[in-house]
This record gives sequence, C-alpha cells and structure tokens, in this order.
Amino acid sequence: MKKWLSIAVIGLSLALIPQMSLAQKKMIQVKGSDTMVNLVQILAEEYMARSPKQALAVLGGGSGTGVSALINGTCDIADHSREWKQKEIEQAWEKGVKPRFFIIAVDGLSIIVNERNPIEKLTMAELGAIYRGEVKNWKVVGGPDKPISLYGRQSNSGTYVFMQEHVLGNKNYSMDMKEMNGNAQIIEGILQDENGVGYVGVGYLFDSSGNVRKGLKVLKVAKDANSPAYSPLDKTSVDSGRYPVARPLFQATNGKPSPAVADFIMFETGPEGQKIVEREGFFTIGAAHRESNEKNLR
Amino acid sequence: MKNKILRIALALGFIILCQAALLAQQTFTTTIYLDYTYFLTNKGWITAPPPGNPSFMNNFFTFRRAYFRYENKISDNLKFRLTYDADYVKAVDASGKKDDKLRPFIKHLNFEWSNLIPNSSIKVGMTDTLTFKLAEDKWGYRSVAKTLTDGYKDVTGTEIDASSADLGASINGSISKQIRYGFMVTNGAGYSHPEGDKFKKFMAQIHLIPIAGFSLVGYVDYEKQDSSNKAFTYKADAFLEMVKNLVIGVEYFVYDNDKNLAADLRHYDISGLSLFGRFTFKPDVLSIFARFDRYEPNSKNANDQVSLIIAGFDWAPLHKSLRIQPNILYYTYADPAKKDDAIFNLTFFLSF
Repeated sequence: MKKWLSIAVIGLSLALIPQMSLAQKKMIQVKGSDTMVNLVQILAEEYMARSPKQALAVLGGGSGTGVSALINGTCDIADHSREWKQKEIEQAWEKGVKPRFFIIAVDGLSIIVNERNPIEKLTMAELGAIYRGEVKNWKVVGGPDKPISLYGRQSNSGTYVFMQEHVLGNKNYSMDMKEMNGNAQIIEGILQDENGVGYVGVGYLFDSSGNVRKGLKVLKVAKDANSPAYSPLDKTSVDSGRYPVARPLFQATNGKPSPAVADFIMFETGPEGQKIVEREGFFTIGAAHRESNEKNLR
Repeated sequence: MKNKILRIALALGFIILCQAALLAQQTFTTTIYLDYTYFLTNKGWITAPPPGNPSFMNNFFTFRRAYFRYENKISDNLKFRLTYDADYVKAVDASGKKDDKLRPFIKHLNFEWSNLIPNSSIKVGMTDTLTFKLAEDKWGYRSVAKTLTDGYKDVTGTEIDASSADLGASINGSISKQIRYGFMVTNGAGYSHPEGDKFKKFMAQIHLIPIAGFSLVGYVDYEKQDSSNKAFTYKADAFLEMVKNLVIGVEYFVYDNDKNLAADLRHYDISGLSLFGRFTFKPDVLSIFARFDRYEPNSKNANDQVSLIIAGFDWAPLHKSLRIQPNILYYTYADPAKKDDAIFNLTFFLSF
C-alpha cells in the first residue's frame, strides 16, 4: 500500500514539475470583442516588433467571451465594445475580480446596406423600429417596396448589446434577424442581399486601398427626424458626438495591470498606438478618455 | 425511386438543421468523465475482495458520466435546455440476463425566463436544485468526485433526500452585487423518480458577498414526509476567492428527518463537513486540488463516521477540451472493523 502511494506521489510530482516551470513563461493573453480583434492584433504586432521580449496572443470570440475570460482568469486583458452587464459585474465581485477599464479607440458603428438600395439615411427611431421588427418594408422609411432583411451579431457580441441598448431602446431584436458570427459575415450577407441592412464596426468597411468596400453603402444616421443625418465616415461628426451611433472601445484588466500589461496599454493609448487606431479606420481617443486611462494605470 | 426521395429529404433536412443552428443561438455540448480506477489497497471496506472471489474487480475502466446538452436561446429573455445524462442502469433483458448498459436519461428539461422580475431568472421544468449548485461550481471537479451533499449517499449509503436536479420551478436573482437569493419548489423525488406523494419540497437560499471574493451561503429545505413527519436540510457554505487563482471552500450541512430513529427510538441527525481548495498554476492548463470530507451518518452512533481525503491535479496537455485528472481517494473509518481504502483514478475529462 505504502509502495503504491509513494509511486503515485512521485509520479504526480514528476509530471507537475515541467508544467510548473512552463507556467513561469508569461504571455499576455488578450481576448474578446470581434470588432476590436483586428485592431488589437495589429497593435500587438507593432508592439512586439518594438518590444521583442514580450509575447502577446490576441483572440476574438465576442465581448462576452472576453469579459467571461477575465473573470475566470484565462486572459490578462478583455476587449469589449460595450460596457459590462450587471450580471458580469456581479460575477466579477463574487470571484474577487476588480476590473479596471481603459478606452483605446472610438468606433462609429456603421449601418450598411447593399449599394443597389436607394436609401441614403435613417433616423435612430427608424433604425430601432427596423431592428425590433416593427418596420418590415423599406417603403415605410422612404425606400423601395421590398421586405427588409436584417443582419446582426450573436448575443455574446458587444456590438449586439450596444445596438440593443442605444438603438433598440433595450427591447428585443426581431426574431427574423440573422445572427451572424462576425462583422465580416454581416458584410458578406449585405453584399449578397440587396434588401439587407446590417451594422458593423467602421474598421471593417474598407478594402486594402482604404476605400469603402465595393457593393456596400454606408447610411447616414440622424438623431431624430428634425436633425441632420451624419456619416460614421466623417471623423469630426463622430468626435463631436453628432453621429449618434458611436461608442468607445474598452479594454479591462483584473485590478491594477501588471507592468507588462500596463506597458502595452500605454503603447495602445499613446501617440504610436493611436496612429494605428486611425490608420485602421477607428477614431482616436479624446483628452477625457486619456485622463481616465492614466488614472486607471496607477 | 423511394430511396432517392428519402435521401433528398434527409439531405434537405440536414441543410435546414445546419442553417437553423447557424442562425439561432443553439448550442450542443458533450461532457464525459472516463476513469481508469485502480485499488491501491486490498483490505479496505471498499477494496477488500469478498471471500471466495479471487477475480475480484480491483481495476477497471468506466464511464462515470456522459452528458449531452442542447440549449436554445430563443431571445434575450427566453432559453431552453435539454440535458441527457448517462449512467450504468442495473437491468435484466427479456431472458433474465444482466444488462447494465450505459443508458441515457433526462437530467434537465426546462425553460428559463429572465428579467420577468428585474435581475432574476425563473426556471420551470427539470432543473438544477439550489442544494449544492454553488458548492459544485466552486469545487469545480465533479469529474473527480461529487460534492459532500451530492455524493453523501454514494459514500455512506445513507439517504439524505438530496438530488442535483428535480422537477419543479425556481427563481434566482440578485438584489445588489452583495445579496443574491433563490427559491425553489419541486416534487422532491429527484430526476430518477416521478412524484410519489402529495408533498412538495421547498428550498430557499441566500448568498451574501460582503466583500469581493468572499461568499457566505445559507440554505434550508423542507419537505413533509407523511401526515406526521417532516424533514429539513440546513446548509452553510463559505467560499474564498480573494487570492488570484486560488479557491477555498467550506460546506457544512445537517439533515433532520423526523423518521430517522435509532433502534432505541432516539432521533438522530445526519451531517457532513467538507473543506476544499484548488489552485491554478496556468489557466486551462494546470491546476491542483484537494479536499477533506467528514461524514456523520448518525449523530447517536460514534462508530459510523467516514473521512475522505481527495487530492490530485488537472492537466490539459493539448487543449482544455481534454483534461487528465489523476487523483487519489483515501477513506478512513471510525469503525475499527473497517480498514482504510486507497483508490487511484486516472480521470479523463472530455468536453466538446
């Protein structure tokens, strides 16, 4: 009996030793928002080129996936394109996770249709009614007499939640909405469907030469019927808050970030990182966001 | 011709099913616990071969559990869940021959309606009970051993009327991030049996988290046994998660059933205490865990206590979907006639 126990204990210990030493090599794990994944991957690549000793792995999966990973301790930084839900705040509290938030960019969420659709603009009320399924024909909002085909994200996406909170008035999406796995799938859907309408991060609109992808039309959006409509492609409109479907893009850490994580966040929010943010089609952060980031890094 | 139509119909059905799965929030998941068990002792209460049985089973492979779950999130407020569990069910075939196949049965079949009352969810159907769901989540290794209350009958052979799922309705919610509550009413028969009497089981739980990472849980359930007898379970848990990657938990319960009378007609209680901890070296790759349980099946009998020590590690060498969890279970008994048992399990946890 004692012999067996000794063998078992020695065996377990031997198996553990290499793993424990592996655990010492630290790679920064970033997980979350699909809207942010391309941007943060590029930021990470540029950062690693500058600091070759530090490795980063950036994964998507949706804001909900990132938040959940941070709460469960499986990532160091959660990317999220919406604020945390009450349930997530409660889960974090239960598990002793005290999140700190950083804003690394601003996204003008773009409402897109097929270029063959003659419609040019929508109001927030019209957009909400369309996605709630209350308006089902383009004719009602000044378009052709054709049924509206809805494209959106799945519910673990921050973009889904942002639209629901800011455009749908916290009501449910239409049951007819096709829930796609990512921004790219929504764009593909709209390119194939001339009755389609979708929402994607502004960074996904452009082709390699920096133009809006062929076959897509980006709609202007007005706060209400009496206000002028603005495009998310117009930086000053987004910066000034006149474009109504804009949102900050967040990163969260568990408590005060470690020096390595803090260094990466400083790079993202500093002049070099913000240049990349702009180059990738997103909007740079303003002074208030910068100040709040610096406070959370301390 | 008939075959061709059938094939086309099947292909179309498959395409529609795939499309539906892509468009809706539907998920299919499977979780399997596969063990290779080896008895390290041969004189213990569990591990001693019965007299006259030289080929006694002292090592074996077994599927301890196999779950297949389907979830469909219809909307932000409505979700359906169906879970099939599988276990070796003792049976005989038509000729009277033993036929203990791994057989599926329904573990969960319910709908969940969220936010009908703000920050709450209502579940109706075959649902997880409140009794040890939290303790199970914190322990995190059902694949290695059920929690104290859940596995009490398996270890001691003593019935405490605790089931991990039951048919009924529950509400869980939060008042603030520091205060959560749960209420449930069920048949009280568990998921293995249909209701057998007119009495229902009532459960209530309060979960306090006064500071981040520190939980206190109070739980009580009640069920009338017959016209003159009743049973209560009182339970208190505490969980500490304030240190990164470390979870420590305590679970204590007393089961008080009026029908529990010793030979001298004195009433006795059944109780148990469990302390556990787990530490993660590398998330989704390597963790260690340990647990100590004390079982007291009869408060009036000083000779029937059982202690159980569990220790092992959880290693995912390739991917978190395949985890290898070698572990040792060591039983000691207050009864001097019962010798200690030591059992080694090489547990494979598969999740896909």
